[in-house]
Amino acid sequence: MTTAASVGDLVSQPYKYGFVTDIETEKIAKGLSEDVVRLISAKKDEPDFLLQFRLRAYRQWLQMETPDWAALGYPPIDFQNIIYYAAPKQRDKKASLDEVDPKLLETFDKLGIPLSEQKRLTNVAVDAVFDSVSIATTYKEKLAEHGVIFCSISEAVKEHPELIERYLGTVVPSNDNYYSALNSAVFSDGSFVFIPKGVECPMELSTYFRINSGDTGQFERTLIVAEEGASVSYLEGCTAPMFDTNQLHAAVVELVALDDASIKYSTVQNWYAGDEHGVGGIYNFVTKRGHCRGDRSKISWTQVETGSAITWKYPSCVLQGADSVGEFYSVALTNNHQQADTGSKMVHVGPRTRSTIVSKGISAGHSANSYRGLVQIGPKAVGARNYSQCDSMLIGDQAAANTYPYIRSQQPLASVEHEASTCRMSEDQLFYLQSRGIAFEEAVSMMVSGFCRDVFNQLPMEFAAEADKLLALKLEGSVG
Amino acid sequence: MGASTVSAKTLATWTGELLAQLPAPSGPLAAVQGRGREALAALPLPSRHQEAWRFTDLALLAGLDLPPSGAQSSGITPDGPAPEGTSPQGACEDKPPTLRLQLDGRRDPLSGVVLPPGLTRLSDSELVLALGHTLAATGCEQHWPVELNHACASQLLALRVSSRAQVSLELVSDGATGLRPLRVLLILEEKAELQLCQRLTAAGSGLTSLVLEAHLGRGAKLQHGLVALGQPDGALLAHLAMEQDPESDVSLVAVSAGWGVSRLEPRVVQVDGSATTTLRGLQVVAGDQIADTHSHIAFGGPEGQLDQLHKAVADGRGRSVFNGAVRVPRAAQRTNAAQLSRSLLLSDRARIDTKPELEIVADDVRCAHGATVSCLQQDELFYLQSRGIAAEQASALLKRAFCEEVLRELPAPARLWCPFERLLAADGFESGPAPAVESGPEAPEGEAG
Amino acid sequence: MIRPDANVLLEIRGLHARVEDKAILKGVNLTLRAGEIHAVMGRNGSGKSTLSKVLAGHPAYTVTAGTVTYRGANLLELSPEERARVGVFLGFQYPVEIPGVSNLEFLRVATNARRVQLGQEELDTFAFEDLVRERLTVVQMDPAFLDRSVNEGFSGGEKKRNEILQMALLEPLVAILDETDSGLDIDALRIVAAGVSQLATADTATLLITHYQRLLEAITPDFVHVMAAGRILRTGGRELALELEERGYDWVDQELAALELG
Repeated sequence: MTTAASVGDLVSQPYKYGFVTDIETEKIAKGLSEDVVRLISAKKDEPDFLLQFRLRAYRQWLQMETPDWAALGYPPIDFQNIIYYAAPKQRDKKASLDEVDPKLLETFDKLGIPLSEQKRLTNVAVDAVFDSVSIATTYKEKLAEHGVIFCSISEAVKEHPELIERYLGTVVPSNDNYYSALNSAVFSDGSFVFIPKGVECPMELSTYFRINSGDTGQFERTLIVAEEGASVSYLEGCTAPMFDTNQLHAAVVELVALDDASIKYSTVQNWYAGDEHGVGGIYNFVTKRGHCRGDRSKISWTQVETGSAITWKYPSCVLQGADSVGEFYSVALTNNHQQADTGSKMVHVGPRTRSTIVSKGISAGHSANSYRGLVQIGPKAVGARNYSQCDSMLIGDQAAANTYPYIRSQQPLASVEHEASTCRMSEDQLFYLQSRGIAFEEAVSMMVSGFCRDVFNQLPMEFAAEADKLLALKLEGSVG
Repeated sequence: MGASTVSAKTLATWTGELLAQLPAPSGPLAAVQGRGREALAALPLPSRHQEAWRFTDLALLAGLDLPPSGAQSSGITPDGPAPEGTSPQGACEDKPPTLRLQLDGRRDPLSGVVLPPGLTRLSDSELVLALGHTLAATGCEQHWPVELNHACASQLLALRVSSRAQVSLELVSDGATGLRPLRVLLILEEKAELQLCQRLTAAGSGLTSLVLEAHLGRGAKLQHGLVALGQPDGALLAHLAMEQDPESDVSLVAVSAGWGVSRLEPRVVQVDGSATTTLRGLQVVAGDQIADTHSHIAFGGPEGQLDQLHKAVADGRGRSVFNGAVRVPRAAQRTNAAQLSRSLLLSDRARIDTKPELEIVADDVRCAHGATVSCLQQDELFYLQSRGIAAEQASALLKRAFCEEVLRELPAPARLWCPFERLLAADGFESGPAPAVESGPEAPEGEAG
Repeated sequence: MIRPDANVLLEIRGLHARVEDKAILKGVNLTLRAGEIHAVMGRNGSGKSTLSKVLAGHPAYTVTAGTVTYRGANLLELSPEERARVGVFLGFQYPVEIPGVSNLEFLRVATNARRVQLGQEELDTFAFEDLVRERLTVVQMDPAFLDRSVNEGFSGGEKKRNEILQMALLEPLVAILDETDSGLDIDALRIVAAGVSQLATADTATLLITHYQRLLEAITPDFVHVMAAGRILRTGGRELALELEERGYDWVDQELAALELG
C-alpha cells in the first residue's frame, strides 16, 4: 500500500510544457461546414484535387458516427465548438529563420528544440509545427543535396503536387474511420518526407508539434514515402499548454515503403494530460498506418506515450509485399485519470511476411490503460509469422490494465504467437534495491526502465535517454 | 448445415415462428417460460453487428428445419437411434453413488427414479429462490440463448447435493432431432462433491439448447465433463454458469465437435474469490461448421485461482472462435490467473479467431495469457518421419497429441464417450448420421484403458 | 576475535516490533563490537528473520519500542537506502528477482551510492568493471552473471553468491546475513563461507542468522545467541551451537515455558 501511494506521488510531477506563448494568431470562426473546408483550402491556396479530396472526406464524415468500441469514457465532442484553423500571424513561411518571430523560436527553445543555426541539433533535421502551420524546417538544403524532400505538407502541395496526389489517402482512405475522415477534410499542416530510390537519409528527421491555442483542434497530416531501397528514421514529438478544457488532436500519418525500403517512425507523445482530477488535456485520436507495398520492405513503429487525457491510437502495418516486415514497440504510461486505448494492427497479406509487437503498459493513479491489437493472417500469407508480447505493470489498486489481443488466421502455414503478463512493482523488489543504497526514486526509475527496456532499445539513441527521463519524470512522486 | 437449407428465412422470422408454435406455458417452469417468451420477443436478435456475435452468425439457425411443437411434450414419440424408450435408469450397481439420467427436454428426468443418498430434488419453493440466481450472478440471464431456453424449456433437473456427500451423476441426451431445451440446476452444499458427466449427441437436424446453473457452497467440488458431439445440421447453444463460494473447486472440461454451429458459454464467478477454477476446452470444426466458445470468468474477491486452456482444431472450411474474458476487479487482489488459447489451423479455407480479454484493476495479481495459432509443427512432423513414420500417420499422431491434452482431463466415464477418432474423422461429420457413440444405458466399462 | 575495548558498532536495546498486527520481536538486546562474529540461532518463527528485516528497515515491519544505535546514531530513523550507505548490509534469505534491471548496472549504482557516502569518487563504468571483476573472485562467480537481470533465473546458490558479491562491493561495517546457508550445496556453502570470512575484519561486525549448525562449522562465531518467541533466550560461545546441534531445540521450549511460568 505504501508502495502504491508513493509510486502515485512519483507519477504526479507537474507538466513542464504547460506554458502558453502570447502571440497574435489568425483564427477562423468556430465550427465546421463545407464553407469552412473550402476556406481552409483557399487559405492554403490549394490545387483543385486537394479541395475535392477534402470535400469528399467531409461528406463521408457527415455520414459517419463516432466510434464507441474502445474502452474509453468521455463526453460527446461538440465539433461546432472547435476552431479548425489557427496560425501565428506572419506573412509567409520565412525564407530564413532570422525572419521568424523570435517568440516562436523562443517557444521551441523552451521546449528543448532549438531551431536557430547556432543551437540546433546536429544530425537531426526538424520541422517545427505551431498550431496549424509549420514555421520552420532545418537542414532543408543539406537534405535536398541527397534528393530528400523534407518540408511541411503545405509546401509539398505547392512544390510537389504530383507526389501528394499520387500518395495522399492511399494508405489511410479518408473514410477509414470517423477521425480520419475529419482529418482529411480539415487537415492544416504536417510533414512530408520523400526519400528517393536508393537513398539512405543522411540524418534523423523530426517533426515537433506544438498546440498553443486553447480552442483550436489540431489536425496534422504526415506522409512519408520511401522509394525502392530507400531508408529513413523519423521522430515526432509533441506538447501542448495546460488548459482546463479538452482539445482535440486528430492526426493522420501515412507511410509508404516500396521494394527494399525501410521506414522507422518513432513518437514521443507528451501532450498535456489534464490535471490530477482529470480536468483538461488533449483528446488524442490518431490514425497511423504504414503500407509495406514493396517486397522486403520494412516499417517499424516505436512509441512512447505519456501524455494526453485520452489516447486512441493503433499504429499499424499492412504487409503486402512478399517478405515485408512490420514492427511495433510501445510504452504507454497513464496516470491520474488518463485513458489510453492503444495497440497495433498487423495485417499480413503477402507471403513470408513477419511482424513483431512489443507493448508495455504502465498504469498508475485512476487511469485506464488498454492494449488492443489485431494480428490478421490472410489466406495468401503463406509462411507468415507474428510474435506479440504485451506486458502490463500496475501501480496502485485503482488503475486498470486491459488487454484485448485479437488474432485472426486463415493460413495454416503461418504461425501466430501471443504472450502477455501482468506484474506490479513489488514492495520487495523496491526494498531490495533500497537496501543496497539506491534511492527510492532511482529504484522506481530503474524498474520502469527495466520493464520498458525492449522498447527503449528501439528508439534512436538521442531520444532513448530522453524517453527514459520523461518516464522517470512522470513517475516522480508516484511510488512508495 | 447445408447451404440449401439456409433459406431466405431470417432469424427474426424463425424466432417469431418458434414463439408462435410453442404450446402454452406449463410444468414447473411455466412462469419462466412466460417471462422468457416476452423477453425473446423484445430482445434484439444476435447479429454480427454485436461484439458478442461478431464472429458467429446465428442466422444459420434460421435454416434449421425445426418442428418446435414436436419437441414439446405433445405425445410424439421420439425417433432416432437413441434408446429413448427406455425408462431412466437408477443408480448403477457397480459404483453405488452413480446415477444416470436421461435428459430429453420433454419428460421429467426424475420420474420413477430413486435418488441415491446425498441427492435430493429441489422443492418448488427452493426453485423459486434458486432458479436464475447463478445466471444473474454471472451476468448472462438476459442473453439471447438463455432467454431462448427460458421460452422453450418445460422440464428441468434441479438437484441438491448434501453437505459432504460424494455423488457421481451422468446426464445423457442422445440422438434427438428438432428442438431440445435442457435446463439443469445444481446446488452443491458445503464440502459436497459432484462428478458430473454430460453427453449431448444429435441424430439429425435440430437445436440443442442447454442452460446449466451450478452453485458451489464453501469447499464444494464440481468436476464437470461435457462431451457434445453433433451433426452438421445440428446446432448447440449452451450456457454453463457456475457460482463459486470460497474454497470451492470447479473443473470443467468441455469437448465439442461436429455441430453445424455451436456456441458454448462457460461463465464462472468466484463470489468472494479464494476458489479454484480449472477450465479445459476443445472444439473441432470441419466442413462448414462453426464452433464458438465465449468464456467469462469474474473474481469477486481476493486469492482466486484460474487455470484455463482452450484448444481448437479447424479443418475444411470450418471456423473456430474463442473469446476469453477474465475480469479482475480491485477486490480481487492476489488473484492468480492463467489463460492459454492454442489453435491448430489445418486448411487454408478454415479460419481461427481468437480474442483473449483481460481486464485488471488490482496491482497485486498474477495474470498471464497466451495464444498461438499454427498448423502442425514441421519439425515435429519431420522428427517422426525421420523415425520411419509415414507423413499421414505422423500428422494423425500429432493431432491426437494436441487433443489428448484436453481429452485426458475428462472424468473417466466421459472419456469413454469421446474417442479421439470420433473427433477428427472429418468425413464422418458430413456423411450421414454419426456412428453411435454408445447406445445402451450401460456404460461400456473396460472399453478403454 | 573478542576485544572488550573494541568500538561498539551496533547496539540493540529492548527492541519490539510487529508486522501488521502481530507482535514478533518482544525485547531483543544485542551488542555488536568491531571484530566480532555473532550467530543468532532459533527455530522458524522465533523472530530471527524479523530482526534482520527490522535492522534493514523493511517497510512492512513497525518498531513499537526499543532502540537501535549504529555507531552512536539512531539507525531506526534512517531510510533503507541510508542504512545501506552508512554501512549496514542485509544479505537476504530470498533475494528477489528483478527482471529487466541489469545486474551490472544495479551493482554499480549501489556501489557508487556507498562511495559517495564515504566521500570517495564515483566509479565510471570502466573503473567499476575492473573493481567488480576483482571482487568476483571472492565468491568465484562467473562474470556472465553480470550481464543478466538482477537475480533473474539464478539458482539458489548463484543468488547467494550475488549477495556476497554485493557485500564485497559495498564493504559494510555491519553485515547481517539471513539464512545465507539455506538452499546451498556443500561446495557453494564453502565458497560463500570463505567469502564471508574474508570480508570479516577487525573493523567490521557480522551477524549470522541461521537455523543450522553447518554454517558455523565453516565460520567460527565469537558469540552464539538462541532466539525464541521474539527474545534472545540465552547467549554463549560456540559451544552453545554444538549443544543445540546435540540436544535440538526442545530444551529451549522447556526453558521458555519455565521462564513464562516464573
